[in-house]
Amino acid sequence: MEKTVLKCENLNKKFGKKQVLDNVSLEIQEGDILGFIGPNGAGKTTTIKLILGLQSITEGKVSINGYDIEKQFTKAIEKVGAIVENPDLYMYLSGYENLKLIANMYPGINQARIDEVVKLVKLENRIKDKVSKYSLGMRQRLGIAQAILHKPNLLILDEPTNGLDPEGMKEMRDLLVELAKQEKMAILISSHNLAELDNLCNKVCIIKNGKIIETSDISKIKKQENKQFKLFEVDDIKKVKALLPEAVMIKNNRFKINVSKEEVPEIIIKLVENQIKIYEVKEEEKSLEQAFFEKTGGNVIE
Amino acid sequence: MSRLIKNELTKIFKKKSIYITLLVILAFVILTNCIYKFFYQSTNSYGYSDNYIQYVKEELAKLDPNKSSDTKLYIDLKSEVELYEMIQRYEEDAWQRDILSTRVSTYVNEKNTYLYGENKDQEKVIEIEDKINQIVEKLDQDDWKYFAQEELKQAEVSLNNLEEQKANTQDKQELQSLEIAIENAKIDKQVAQYRIDKNIKYGNDYRNTALNTYQNEAKNIINMENTEQELEYVKKQEYNSSLENREISKYIIENNVDINKANDIRGILQNFFSEYGLFIIVVIVMIAGTIVSEEFNKGTIKLLLVKPYSRNKILLSKFITVLIMIVFSILAIVIMELLVGGIIFGYDSLSVPVLEYNFNTQSLESMGIFTYLGIQIITQLPKLILLATLAFACSTLFTNSALAIAIPLLGYMSGDVINLLVIQYKVEFMKFFVSMNWDFEGYLFGNLPKMEGMTAGFSVIICIIYFIALLIPTFIVFRKKNIKNI
Repeated sequence: MEKTVLKCENLNKKFGKKQVLDNVSLEIQEGDILGFIGPNGAGKTTTIKLILGLQSITEGKVSINGYDIEKQFTKAIEKVGAIVENPDLYMYLSGYENLKLIANMYPGINQARIDEVVKLVKLENRIKDKVSKYSLGMRQRLGIAQAILHKPNLLILDEPTNGLDPEGMKEMRDLLVELAKQEKMAILISSHNLAELDNLCNKVCIIKNGKIIETSDISKIKKQENKQFKLFEVDDIKKVKALLPEAVMIKNNRFKINVSKEEVPEIIIKLVENQIKIYEVKEEEKSLEQAFFEKTGGNVIE
Repeated sequence: MSRLIKNELTKIFKKKSIYITLLVILAFVILTNCIYKFFYQSTNSYGYSDNYIQYVKEELAKLDPNKSSDTKLYIDLKSEVELYEMIQRYEEDAWQRDILSTRVSTYVNEKNTYLYGENKDQEKVIEIEDKINQIVEKLDQDDWKYFAQEELKQAEVSLNNLEEQKANTQDKQELQSLEIAIENAKIDKQVAQYRIDKNIKYGNDYRNTALNTYQNEAKNIINMENTEQELEYVKKQEYNSSLENREISKYIIENNVDINKANDIRGILQNFFSEYGLFIIVVIVMIAGTIVSEEFNKGTIKLLLVKPYSRNKILLSKFITVLIMIVFSILAIVIMELLVGGIIFGYDSLSVPVLEYNFNTQSLESMGIFTYLGIQIITQLPKLILLATLAFACSTLFTNSALAIAIPLLGYMSGDVINLLVIQYKVEFMKFFVSMNWDFEGYLFGNLPKMEGMTAGFSVIICIIYFIALLIPTFIVFRKKNIKNI
């Protein structure tokens, strides 16, 4: 059985009278990448701060690698790497100097390890530059570099894809998948970018108004979403209406229809036989997002 | 822990702000040294400023010597103008100016009183003018020893007179006042003798200054020693400072060493904390006031707090860094002064010792300038540490750099003002206040402390109490602090 790296049990957090977190429970095993999704103000960052001991826990328990974060802080945090909110680094130092500072705080990180990590996040050309000259994407990558420098087995990333260009996002995704596989790192990743998580995580956890409303494997969610909308673009939409009564018409000669993958060829054949020209067929890409909205019921901050 | 401290030091020394501050301080050090080198005047120059004399002349023109209401003022102003014209004949540093402004000024005034006053007396005027001319003749001959001899003669004469009077008096009270007068006359005689023996010219010369100081302070001491009732505390302090000045002046006269010289590298180092104390405090407060709050403001505190160190250790490492920076900033400014002062004045003066009067052994203690500077640093350290701790505490408690810098600076500046008020109005309970206790210079060499009943041990305890009272809440708050969204 895989080892549990992070376990949150019934976390509660109150700011004064306001209940920010309500019985939040999470679990991450070795090699897992958990997507932590929720609208703004749902308590994602607060949960992460409780996990990292940055804020006191009103009620509940966090244990990392079997150590309680409040009672055995240094032991618990030892094998954790994290970015919270923004990749806040020392702007007046160079990327390398930043990494050196972090390296100093752990025993046994040598020059070679720093170089290795720099290469991993592809910053080798700019590592001697001041961080104040970095773009947000580069800062994100440097943030990841400082988080994985000491080879943690739990990586906690708060919105790590913020500010990354599509290519950067893909690189980041590949990097995280590799880290999870090769170093058996457990990764907790919070994000607004749902399409991102779709391709990255193997588990998803949805939080709304401080409550976890869904935790499941991404494959399960995918199965639920097997029958999903396919988008067609054709030359004459009027003919379609008669042929496919269940189709939903959209303007610009397009319609969508809720069918499984296997049914798509049949529809195409049907259309072609009726001399309807098909310009494009594609899957509507909002699967996870839709699930997300269905679960959270939109973005309401209480 | 040492790794954390090393990191903190790296962060401080990679910042531009510290170098800019040090550069500004360097500029001030250069400026201070230049002013001492080129504009410093050791003692008052005799004579008046041109503007003043211009003003006096204009006023004089408005007055009518024959009008009785104007007469007195006319005489005073006229005398001033005349004296000014006499003084102007000699060079700025000339010893003659000293004689003119001390001795001749009374003659000039007397002459004008007979000339313009109610009792006009032409004979007296001529008589006095003769005297003045005689003096001026001697002045022109550059014969200052003549005046020294005169001084000695006069002192001897008045001493003899007093002795005679004493022999003829039976009255107890009068006898006592005569004795004091005799003591004073003896000082005058001693001073005149010193002048002749040690070849001390009048005028702008440190030995002449020392001689004058010696004369004044010695008389001061005699008068204070002969008062009937017990001295008030303030008077006791005055007495002590007179004693010290007298002994140091005596040393200067006897050894021909300018111990009090302010305008050389040694003089500036001797007054190091009064010259540069504020700079040191600004640097320290700047570092201590930002070391925690900046991490909060920039969000980098999260980087630190998710590392395998307890929060206590992280805060402690920062505090130790502040203590290291206190030593650094003192050394940095000492080195600046040594470089700049050395270039401007040369290093010769460093071999001149510093003197302190030890009230316990009742003798002068001589020490090298660096020993003295070291002692000064140690006596100032409690103040510096407490101010740094205050800045550090504010920095942690408020996480606001501006506040954390402003409060200790205010405390430093108002501390001196409060001390003055407390001492002046004898506010007893304020002797428990920190600013009354954080400067240990007053406890050195058996001198009297700021207020009656205070001791070095008392001040140490007070300082420690304030120190702990600042640090404990700081650590508690930091340990419990929720890191809010930034």
